[in-house]
Amino acid sequence: MLHTMKPHPAPEDLIPKIAGGERAALAQLFEAESGRLLAIAQRILRRRDLAEEAIQEVFLSVWRNAGSYDRSKGTARGWLTVMTRNRALNMLRDGARIDYKDGETLAELGDRTADVRAAFDALSARDALRHCLEALDASKREAVLLCYVTGLNHGEAAATMNVPLGTIKSWVRRGVVALQECLA
Amino acid sequence: MTPQDREQIGEYVLGLLEDSQAQAFEARLANEPELATAVAKLQAQLETLDDTAGELPAGPALWQRIADRLDGPNAEQAQPALNRSANDNHWTRRLGMAASIVIALAVGYLTGTHLTTSRQPVMIAVLLSEDGSEPGAIVEAYADDTIRLVPFDLTARPADRVYQVWTLPDPETGPVSMGIFDDPATLSLSGPDLPPPEPGQLYEITLEPSGGSPTGRPTGPILVKGFAKMPL
Repeated sequence: MLHTMKPHPAPEDLIPKIAGGERAALAQLFEAESGRLLAIAQRILRRRDLAEEAIQEVFLSVWRNAGSYDRSKGTARGWLTVMTRNRALNMLRDGARIDYKDGETLAELGDRTADVRAAFDALSARDALRHCLEALDASKREAVLLCYVTGLNHGEAAATMNVPLGTIKSWVRRGVVALQECLA
Repeated sequence: MTPQDREQIGEYVLGLLEDSQAQAFEARLANEPELATAVAKLQAQLETLDDTAGELPAGPALWQRIADRLDGPNAEQAQPALNRSANDNHWTRRLGMAASIVIALAVGYLTGTHLTTSRQPVMIAVLLSEDGSEPGAIVEAYADDTIRLVPFDLTARPADRVYQVWTLPDPETGPVSMGIFDDPATLSLSGPDLPPPEPGQLYEITLEPSGGSPTGRPTGPILVKGFAKMPL
């Protein structure tokens, strides 16, 4: 595995080459970033095949749209992360394409709270985000994390937390506003 | 930045806005740099949560599927971005229009709707297929930056594409998104804050990736396009 001994080039340096049509640069970006992006997509979509489909679309989109990446507006990894999240969320919301069995859906929903706790626990103690999430009421924190980390919508988050829809909406709204104020 | 803006920024970044709300919000993002900066900031701040998902080995088979599609049957769409960066050319070339069809349709259409709607469009555009032969949709543009879109013959979209409506207020501004939709049906779209629509202003519908063009400019094939005319 000689190639793993070389550090990966920065995604920011690969993207202009991809925009110029260099397929090898896209392959390098895939090698460096696909593992992380696949994990993000799978945490939202739950199914490996769907997560792979999302990643496939993301890299095709990078191939087509690399010229639109603007370094001054954020990191390339951030750009890839947002694209991956959006693709996975779109697939999730487009429910017809996701064929979970009934029992499976309930089991998966049960898992979501555990996923959220694991994500929160994995945040570094020095991370300002962790500090600001800790400052929220537990219910608001869980509502925000269920939606962000596992991609639940308001209704699914309400079912998971066993509270009315309006309560979830209000928790999420107040949670995200408080979070932005804390992170400012 | 109002408290409502903060709520919307948060709900947008969490992926919680309904399609129509998200479209309206994205239209604002295109025009309000401060709002766009706040969205980008929150996205970057939340990214450490994404990083907690870890890594899953992707494997060569997945890369092979991607590589196979780079110049597969969708080669035109899969070309690298720079080769297609002259998208703006779409707006100025191949604009030969069957003017008589446009006017006949616009007049006939208007006569038909006078009785049912009291709200009067400022401009009307009949959008024709690329070869200018087949009308595909009508756009009624109102003074308040909304349009009413009446599609009647649009190419079926692939499952991973959406229709996106664009207008070109002027060449300096460039193409501006009026919104995206999944199913061809009469619908109202609310665009960003623009000058009142002018005669000759271009409207077009392209196919874009789900969620709309990632660049904020048309990237996909043009299905139909046409110039605005003032109703008589």
